Amino acid sequence: MSGETATGGGSTETLDRARSLLGRYRVPVGLVLVVVLLRPVISNPLLLGYEAVAATILIWMVFVAAFNLLFGYAGLLSFGHAMFLGFGMYAAAIGVSGRAGAPQLPFPVAAAIGIAVAATVGYLLGRLTVEKGEIYFAFLTLAVAQAVEFTANRNPLNLTGGSNGVTQNVLPGFVESTRGQLVVVFGGLEVDWYWFVSAVFLVSMLALWQIVRSPFGRSLVAIRENGDLARAMGIDTTRYKVQAFTISAAFSALAGSVLMVDRYGASQETLSVITSGDTVLMAVLGGVRYFFGPIAGVFVWQFAEEFLNEFEVLHLGFTSVDLSGVLTHWQFFLGALFVVLVVVAPLEGIWGYLRDWVRDLYVRLKGVAE
Amino acid sequence: MSDTADTATETTDDVEPTDAGREADTMPSPDPAVDPTTAALATDGLRRTFGEVTAVDRVSLGVERGELRAIIGPNGAGKTTLFNTIMGTLPPTDGRVFLDGQDVTERDEHERPHLGLARSFQSNELFEEQTVLENVRVVVQTSRRGAFSFDLFRDHRSVGRERALELLDTVGLDAPPSTLAKNLSHGDQRRLGIAMALATEPEVLLLDEPTSGMSPGATTATANLIEEIRDELGLTVVLIEHDMDVVLSISDRISVLNRGSLIATGPPEEIQANDAVQDAYLGGMREEL
Amino acid sequence: MNTTELTREDLATVSPAWWAAALVAVVLLAVTFAVEPGLFIDQAIGGLVYGMVLVLVTLGLSLILGLMGIVNFAHGAFFMLGAYLSYSVVVTLGLPFWAALILAPLAVGVVGVVLEITVLRYLYGSDPIVSLLATFGLTMMIEEVIRAYWGTAPLEISRPSVLTRGTDLGVTTVPTYRLFLVGVAVLTIVAVYLLISRTDFGLTVRAGVQDGEMTEFVGVNLPVRFTAMFFLGAALAGFAGVLYSAETGMRTTMGETFVILAFVVVVVGGIGSLFGSVVSGILIGVSAYLTPVVLSALAEVTNQPWLALQIRDLVPYLVMILILLYRPRGLFGEEGFLE
Repeated sequence: MSGETATGGGSTETLDRARSLLGRYRVPVGLVLVVVLLRPVISNPLLLGYEAVAATILIWMVFVAAFNLLFGYAGLLSFGHAMFLGFGMYAAAIGVSGRAGAPQLPFPVAAAIGIAVAATVGYLLGRLTVEKGEIYFAFLTLAVAQAVEFTANRNPLNLTGGSNGVTQNVLPGFVESTRGQLVVVFGGLEVDWYWFVSAVFLVSMLALWQIVRSPFGRSLVAIRENGDLARAMGIDTTRYKVQAFTISAAFSALAGSVLMVDRYGASQETLSVITSGDTVLMAVLGGVRYFFGPIAGVFVWQFAEEFLNEFEVLHLGFTSVDLSGVLTHWQFFLGALFVVLVVVAPLEGIWGYLRDWVRDLYVRLKGVAE
Repeated sequence: MSDTADTATETTDDVEPTDAGREADTMPSPDPAVDPTTAALATDGLRRTFGEVTAVDRVSLGVERGELRAIIGPNGAGKTTLFNTIMGTLPPTDGRVFLDGQDVTERDEHERPHLGLARSFQSNELFEEQTVLENVRVVVQTSRRGAFSFDLFRDHRSVGRERALELLDTVGLDAPPSTLAKNLSHGDQRRLGIAMALATEPEVLLLDEPTSGMSPGATTATANLIEEIRDELGLTVVLIEHDMDVVLSISDRISVLNRGSLIATGPPEEIQANDAVQDAYLGGMREEL
Repeated sequence: MNTTELTREDLATVSPAWWAAALVAVVLLAVTFAVEPGLFIDQAIGGLVYGMVLVLVTLGLSLILGLMGIVNFAHGAFFMLGAYLSYSVVVTLGLPFWAALILAPLAVGVVGVVLEITVLRYLYGSDPIVSLLATFGLTMMIEEVIRAYWGTAPLEISRPSVLTRGTDLGVTTVPTYRLFLVGVAVLTIVAVYLLISRTDFGLTVRAGVQDGEMTEFVGVNLPVRFTAMFFLGAALAGFAGVLYSAETGMRTTMGETFVILAFVVVVVGGIGSLFGSVVSGILIGVSAYLTPVVLSALAEVTNQPWLALQIRDLVPYLVMILILLYRPRGLFGEEGFLE
């Protein structure tokens, strides 16, 4: 989080002013850097060597950041967030495909319906659960998400396609698929899918960042830090929590609608409680107290998933070890890393350690220079 | 104690009414000034029970505008529970709370600061991981924007920063505003708590042991601060305090609570000479020994 | 962990709406029984079996939650581990089912002890969210081990021939195994209840949670007792896993499904009430199995085929939402626990 650094008082030096501006807007700058660097970095032959997942990773970052608005900032751990991703995904897929007699809708309209459904469910569920205590909240969201998954699995009115999901005729009119690559067509203009997703990513993340730095967002932080005190100081904690839940649900559904196009349809797997659990893991792994925590967490997770599944032989120069058998079970090691992280410092995550490490390095370098 | 009879019949009708009546008769008339319609803060027959235990027993208080009232009593007398019940942190089992003549008993806890009633906590309740400035600023923001506000498009630093710095100055907190609240000294944390309570722009301020754990020097400074709050800001102050020097030197009147009941109210010199008060304190001492 | 009993007062607070709902339920059940008596009894017993498994799983979860303040997400993984271990005992080692019924829960208990000593011990007294997250990580590890060792395909074991026969109940024949399961579950529940409420062991664990220093001061070795408590909770989950999977087989999704259901049972029964968990487990099990039967009978009687919804999986969650709306503290819950 930015925020606390710029309180020290102004300076007249131009350099200082530039630095303070950079300090104030380092989140937008960082987000642009993520967009620009992500694709070249992962398509480096030493890393993944292919770039198709770059857009998927950006979408996941939006989703986990939306989740973290609720957990990291408002202090509410939702263990069923996949359902909101699913509302966006299924609404977009059903609307665009017009399956089973549903009216065929343009993608933005279908996505908007998904977002509205998610926000409504978030609001109502929030009214029912936010004041029940954090463990209650975690399990209640989990249970409701499970119920939503079962419902989709039952294929009501033939809309959700049961365990097959919705995969036919799901590409919106403005998206074309050529040789497995998605291209967005606006009039005569062709734009790479990655840049379209980047635009959605930047707009959503900036909106989330603005929420976090707004007076509204600071009220959420106060509630997270000490709900009793917040109430005694005149903050309507219940309403803030319910609205945070609603906003988080809406952004999750937005991510879901874009993910639908990216994945060529809505899959029941994405709606499952396993996805909800992965969301929690990614956020905590990255560091829930930081705006860039979810971004780091998603990157590490998705990268590990792709990279370690591909990884086969470790070349150590003098010998080679075949690790493919062990590394297909990367979830075991990630789980172990997660447990250690939670026991040692549950709120710091990778981003927290990275920050401390960079700060130490900076201090040490400064010491050497002087 | 105007509605003792009502409450007795409503909630404890299995208990013999004579019992309640007897207690009411033998109880000293604790706070002669009670008139809920004119007092800045008044309680009428306020009662709070936890299961079988009665922590606050039919307390009727009346604090006048601009008064500095101290509430004293042995440990476990129910002083903090009384504050919690007045603030709405705990719903009362019985009785009413009046603020400026208005019945606020049914108002939610978070509404009361907006009606002019604020408190500081006995334990240092703070937003610990936030800066000193942010602790106060978020309260200033709440006081200006209301209990809930969709204030999404501004930078939080543009709301209430100056006022927050001003309040930190008022309470004499010298630590840099960017210090994290959890890193403050105990005394500074207590001052921060008072600054936050003041940030709600209250008319009536409840302070729960503002000097506890402070050095003698800091205690005097805090006592001066409390007098200043009353004199210069014109607030009504209700104070729970153990340091009798502070109580005797700054309060206009003192109310004594024992086993949940109000046993006396009066000016300091009168309370010092009161037999019931001495019994309560000495009795408490005896039990502790 | 009180066994709250329905008192006169509780009954007096039950509103007319509840009575009306109960009446409607009784009428519906009667109609269903009249239309399809065989299926009705069949499903009622199926529901009872399912409910008993739920109660057994919930028992361990709420013991550890109520006595030690740890929210053990890995409880479902223990359940699943018990099931898969019983497969190894029966198929790989070639031992009889009865051996699996003893050995698998013991092994799961040992796993629980190892996790308690290496991880959970450091979490006593911390924010329950932290223990939830940590045990969630442990769940991931255990599930990955299961996938790696036993594979992802569904597995099955054969039960001893004594239990595979049927027992004639007049209108229908019920597999003997189901009756066996219900009997064993009831015995287990009673035994655990007696252990917790009537023995020195349960008392000291409870005292230890309330005031650890004082309890140790009077000479109780708390770490050992907490570990033993965790052994008991894990073994109970493993035991339930063996019982359940012997009938339905082993699947890699059973862990997550059952840990969520166990929490649903706790919410419906009321957190902090052992008795509530038992009642709500059976209630949820039976209603999950009977609701589709009732709906199909209703569809037949009213000639509205769309009514015959197959919503068995959904019923527990619907019950939970109803309870949250109309009785937030659960059927027998104390107010304010964990809030």
